[in-house]
Amino acid sequence: MVTRRDVGKIGLSAGLAGSTSFAARQAAAADAAQTAVDAAKKYSGQTISIVWEAGLQALDPLHFSGPKWKELTGMDVKVIEVATADMFTKIMQDYKSGAGAYDALNVIPSWMPDLVNAGALEDLDPYVDKYGYRDELQKIAPTFRDNQMMVNGKIYGFPDDGDIFVLYFRKDIFADPAVQAAFKAKTGKDLAVPKTWAEFDVTGAALTDILKDKGQYGAGFFRQPPYAMFMFQERFRNEGGKFFDADTMKATINSDIGVKVLTDTRAENAWMPPGVEQWGFVENLAAFLQGQTAMTISWPPYGRWAAGYGTDQEALNWVPKTQIAGKVGYAMTPGGHPELAAGFCLSISSTSKNKDAAYLFIQWLNSEAISMERVQLPYTLRDPFRDSQYVSAEYLSRWPDAKDYLATLQEGAQNGLLDLSILQTDKYEEVLRQMISKLWAGDDPKAIADAAAADWDAITEKIGVDKQKAAYANWASKSGAYPKM
Amino acid sequence: MPAITAHQPDRNFRYWIIAPAIFLLLAVGLFPLIYSLIVSFMRIDMMDTDTSFAGLYNYKQLFKDARLWQSLLHTLIITAVALPLELIFGLAMAYLFLEKMPGRQIFVSLLVLPTIISPIVAGATWRLLLDNQYGPINQMLGWFAGHRVNLLWTINPYLVYPAIIFCEIWQWTPFMFLILLAALSNVDKSQTEAAEIDGASFIRSFRYIVLPAIWPVMAIAILIRGLDLFRIFDIIWALTMGGPGTMTETISIYTYNEGFKQFETSYTAAIAFLVIAILTVTVTWAIRRMGLAK
Repeated sequence: MVTRRDVGKIGLSAGLAGSTSFAARQAAAADAAQTAVDAAKKYSGQTISIVWEAGLQALDPLHFSGPKWKELTGMDVKVIEVATADMFTKIMQDYKSGAGAYDALNVIPSWMPDLVNAGALEDLDPYVDKYGYRDELQKIAPTFRDNQMMVNGKIYGFPDDGDIFVLYFRKDIFADPAVQAAFKAKTGKDLAVPKTWAEFDVTGAALTDILKDKGQYGAGFFRQPPYAMFMFQERFRNEGGKFFDADTMKATINSDIGVKVLTDTRAENAWMPPGVEQWGFVENLAAFLQGQTAMTISWPPYGRWAAGYGTDQEALNWVPKTQIAGKVGYAMTPGGHPELAAGFCLSISSTSKNKDAAYLFIQWLNSEAISMERVQLPYTLRDPFRDSQYVSAEYLSRWPDAKDYLATLQEGAQNGLLDLSILQTDKYEEVLRQMISKLWAGDDPKAIADAAAADWDAITEKIGVDKQKAAYANWASKSGAYPKM
Repeated sequence: MPAITAHQPDRNFRYWIIAPAIFLLLAVGLFPLIYSLIVSFMRIDMMDTDTSFAGLYNYKQLFKDARLWQSLLHTLIITAVALPLELIFGLAMAYLFLEKMPGRQIFVSLLVLPTIISPIVAGATWRLLLDNQYGPINQMLGWFAGHRVNLLWTINPYLVYPAIIFCEIWQWTPFMFLILLAALSNVDKSQTEAAEIDGASFIRSFRYIVLPAIWPVMAIAILIRGLDLFRIFDIIWALTMGGPGTMTETISIYTYNEGFKQFETSYTAAIAFLVIAILTVTVTWAIRRMGLAK
């Protein structure tokens, strides 16, 4: 159970947990949080607003960080809950109207270039220097720090959520001698957690054959387009695909690799649970937690809930009771480069009338001390994103396999792939969502991929080939854009 | 006879009284319309700083936009199928409840319930009912089939339109029913009884006595539902969001996507005026054709 302790206690307890250097880091972290608190006291009585993803995510500022900030500084935090699909729209509308209704923002990193180019985000560099936050920013895991924080060399958001895909598998099934023998007989190979998509297809199909009599399947995935779109981005690049020809900016998602990924993806549905095409986050979670599937891919919260961590809390009473606690293993997704799907950064709206106060709140939220506490709240979906969080003694003690879990997240963060982030990214993503939707409807993969590529070309043409080429070159130069083959 | 008061009221006083209402109507009705028209000739797309005058560019784009015309076709398909079915079922139900029967009032009230539910709630409810994993519909079909039924109602291209149209009919047939019941209740029974004595069949009696009597009301009901169906958004949004792909994307959903997801503000304004033009021509034609203008 997560307790709500004051800032000093958090810094102290976390600091004592590790080595001397770890303790030193924690002491510095406490300073960053304390600096924000001390500076924010002059705004006591004021209210700042923050846009937060509706649902579980928003329980963080509603139940934990908001009340704590009020207690420490006297400032109220008004949480504006917005569905993920509407967040970009709402932020842009507020900016364009000049209403200034939002002070602080949660921003998906792939949106940042668009929001910055539109002028909707405040450059945070002056604030970072003013309040001495630069050192602590360096302690954010490199993938997030180097790729999700800056646009055109300036800081516009603090990476605040280490979203990453993880391959979850049932250790008990993979270690079952009877299953191993049946698998060997069926495939001629030893049963092992798949490292490539080719291995995954063989393993998943064979496990379904072996386990189907028990009502179990080799794997199940979320297939609804908004989720499957991220999985396509990941798999396509792990298989060697490139989104564009860097010279011409012609879309290349209809390459042989793209068509193969679409074809293979749909073929998997045949051995996955019936109706998997309709599965979203919750359906997939329920199937895995109830022991219906031997493997799945999803964001980090699955791992915590599968272990039963915090699921006794009221906010998580909708999560099916796990029947697989202690039986779950964690691995890199096939291909070894998991998608850093979505994630969140904390930013300040350029039209805010309380920029300084809002900045202090996000510095405090993002600080080493407070974020350590926040990523351990079981109900808020925030995942580790700082180096210290992967090795936190407190976190490691949360459940017996937490060590493996955090090690996998850390490895994923080092090898992860960034979501495509260019000009007007959502338009390109919308085409991918449509492509997935058509795939489930039974259309020809080649025709779907060609149509998607043509749509991408039309979008690029409208934005301007040269402008987009520069944006793509900038994105593609980042360490997490494409796997190093 | 008492003398008329000497003070004559200001002849323009009546105009002063209605002026605030007229001003309000113009402010909330006409101004946005004119402003949207202006916007449709510009290049506003929220993401770009160039908001210059674009002439007829956005309107020319309409003719090149295959997805727009497909969405119009989808809208017409849904309207063309759902409207006659709602009319036929509504009329049949109205006939059924025309005669006095025990519990009639209660049944009528229950039948009208779907109409008072918000369409987005109805759509979300049907989405749950049609869900393959947890929905009861496939489960019930499975009882009849004798094995598990896996029908992906919102994904399978052959099932998605029947699912949408079924939900639409479920929600709005009661509207037709209620209006037609009121109209049928006012038909002069002595005429239909006389026709029956003279040996006229039900069809003949309906065609020459009942239909002319209820036609003005029926025509209004058709017009209202036709316009509603042309603007259909909520149920489809909740059920399929226009998918699979863009297969069930109607003109309203396409307009929403362009305006609020893709931020093509000027182009969306042009689409809005295209829709206004189509509806104006269609409604004017329908009103004349149905004889409602008399």
